[in-house]
Amino acid sequence: MKRVLSVLMLLFLASPVFAVEELHLFNWNNYMSAEAVAGFEKEYGCKVVQDYYSGTEEMMAKLQAGASGYDLVIPTQNAVQTLIQQGFLEKLDKSALPNIKNEDPGFMNRSYDPGNVYSLPYAYTTTLIGYNVEKLKALGVEAKSWAVIFDPAILAKIKGKVTVMDDADELFGAALKYLGYSVNDTDEKHLREAQAVIMKAKPYWAAFNSSSYIKELTVGNIWVAHGYSSDMVQARNDARDAKRDFMVNFFLPKEGAVLALDNMVIPKKAKNKKLALQCINFLMDGKNAAGLSNDVGAGNPNAAALPFINPELKELIAIFPDQKVLSTLETLESSNTKVRRLKNKLWTEIKLK
Amino acid sequence: MLKTVQGKAWSKYLLSLPPMAYLLIFFAAPTLIMLFSSFRYPGEYGGLAPWLVQDGGQWTFDLTLESWQRLFGTDIYLRLFVKSIGYAICTTLFCMVMAYPLALMIARSGRKSRDLLLLLVILPFWSNFLVRIYAWMIIFSPVGALTRILNGVLDLFGVGPVTLMYSPTAMIVCLVYVHLPFMVLPLYANLEKHDPYLLDAAQDLGAGKWRRFWLITWPLSLPGITAGSILVFIPVLGMFAIPDLLGGTDGIMIGNVIKQQFMESRDWPFGSVLSMVLTVAAVAVVLLGSRLSRQRAGMSGS
Repeated sequence: MKRVLSVLMLLFLASPVFAVEELHLFNWNNYMSAEAVAGFEKEYGCKVVQDYYSGTEEMMAKLQAGASGYDLVIPTQNAVQTLIQQGFLEKLDKSALPNIKNEDPGFMNRSYDPGNVYSLPYAYTTTLIGYNVEKLKALGVEAKSWAVIFDPAILAKIKGKVTVMDDADELFGAALKYLGYSVNDTDEKHLREAQAVIMKAKPYWAAFNSSSYIKELTVGNIWVAHGYSSDMVQARNDARDAKRDFMVNFFLPKEGAVLALDNMVIPKKAKNKKLALQCINFLMDGKNAAGLSNDVGAGNPNAAALPFINPELKELIAIFPDQKVLSTLETLESSNTKVRRLKNKLWTEIKLK
Repeated sequence: MLKTVQGKAWSKYLLSLPPMAYLLIFFAAPTLIMLFSSFRYPGEYGGLAPWLVQDGGQWTFDLTLESWQRLFGTDIYLRLFVKSIGYAICTTLFCMVMAYPLALMIARSGRKSRDLLLLLVILPFWSNFLVRIYAWMIIFSPVGALTRILNGVLDLFGVGPVTLMYSPTAMIVCLVYVHLPFMVLPLYANLEKHDPYLLDAAQDLGAGKWRRFWLITWPLSLPGITAGSILVFIPVLGMFAIPDLLGGTDGIMIGNVIKQQFMESRDWPFGSVLSMVLTVAAVAVVLLGSRLSRQRAGMSGS
């Protein structure tokens, strides 16, 4: 009996050691600086438990299915809009966030969350085109417009070497931009025109691919891929590090493109809201925020981070667009049921024919 | 005496209660919920809209046939089902042709090697499904050895180069690869039970090798084939991961479109409609299969 008691006593004494505070983070995969996480863990004596998602729908489905226990989530702007409307998010206590002053005003106070009541910008990417420099040069294909993935005359030269995103919003967005419309155009006539553009180009594409285009580009299987800018930075670096006999590069089409602004939010159901606020504040510190650009290749909405960012990266207009380019970029808005149904029908038709 | 028989009947019910309850709670009830959902409106931000609304003090049902009308309003969903069934039939046939000799070989080999061979059949299950599909993606890669050798050989005959990746061929190869054990195992279980004396007797009566197979082994193995076919056909029909990863620009199956309804377009009612049709198709296949095998069994019995 005595022995049992002493064991219990020991357990009691030991328990504070085990009870390290945990921050549960739900983020896009490959979208966090490992250095920043380590720094936060050290400074606040906590442990960051990371869980990842690879698509907005996947994240929304998981949250809507009742997944709780996440303290900090990094959703894209249209998802933020939906999460706010669903009453899912906690209002941010600005008094606990002194580093808010570091955020670039150009990325604040956007239409999806006026006054940044629930969300603060974390990083941004553009959806653009990554390509195999040598192959395109040899074939005389110019890398500057969406025509590379939509114009049958150009596609004839690179048939079977092109992938586009397996994402209706992104692909319709690109086709709408190619036609000179807004990425958020909901006019059925315009959407049908975009569908026609996609249908004409489809026979020349190898696949719809949102998951493995980094690998396909770096291996040389695919010469042109439609995808996120941060992924293309990675593909470029991977091809260089693997010493391939070709280079991967990327460009923002001149017609404009989709801009995805990712944000930090705290769910109402979060268990450790205080730590989540501390983490947001930590990540808004210039030096910590810079890691995201340097490690991941994401655009940075934090003005104080700029001096710490690798100058080579800062010069890339596709990653850090200037005011002129920024004006051609649009963020996706969340759409209503009717538009979603129409888009899905057009999308299924595209996939089937 | 009577008492013990009754007691046995009781224990029979008692034993079958947990699996029955399991099926009721986890199959029948969700199916009914899904059927009900298919008549509801989608929620504005995902999920479902309330089906009972208070309108000026009066409670009214807010249900609709809209999603079902959408299914029949165009032929694309019908064509999608036909295509998926086509893939499922192809996969089942390939599995059958490949699994039969293998299962027969295992069933007729010595006890020791039999255990080893069976272990080899289930060995692929030890690694994750997606990892195995990714392995196939590397094998099919346009810059991979297989494609290059194949195109080199084709080139000698003056035939243009082919791509293996992102093609129906790649999909069928992977579907067959993943589902082959589900055909081998029931076939083996059936073939292993065949009485070897039947074949001996047929040989004594002068039947040749092929005749013995067609008259004895084949008809007796039909229940095994039916069971294997059902185990292969139904999962293939609802498959979405393989078309997602390996299918080309038109490599889409009904499973992908159902997934789209619950994810991208957040349209649960229409997803429920498609799922209901898929469930009905699967149940129909099972009924058809069991009826066929019963008929055959009756025929060979008479």
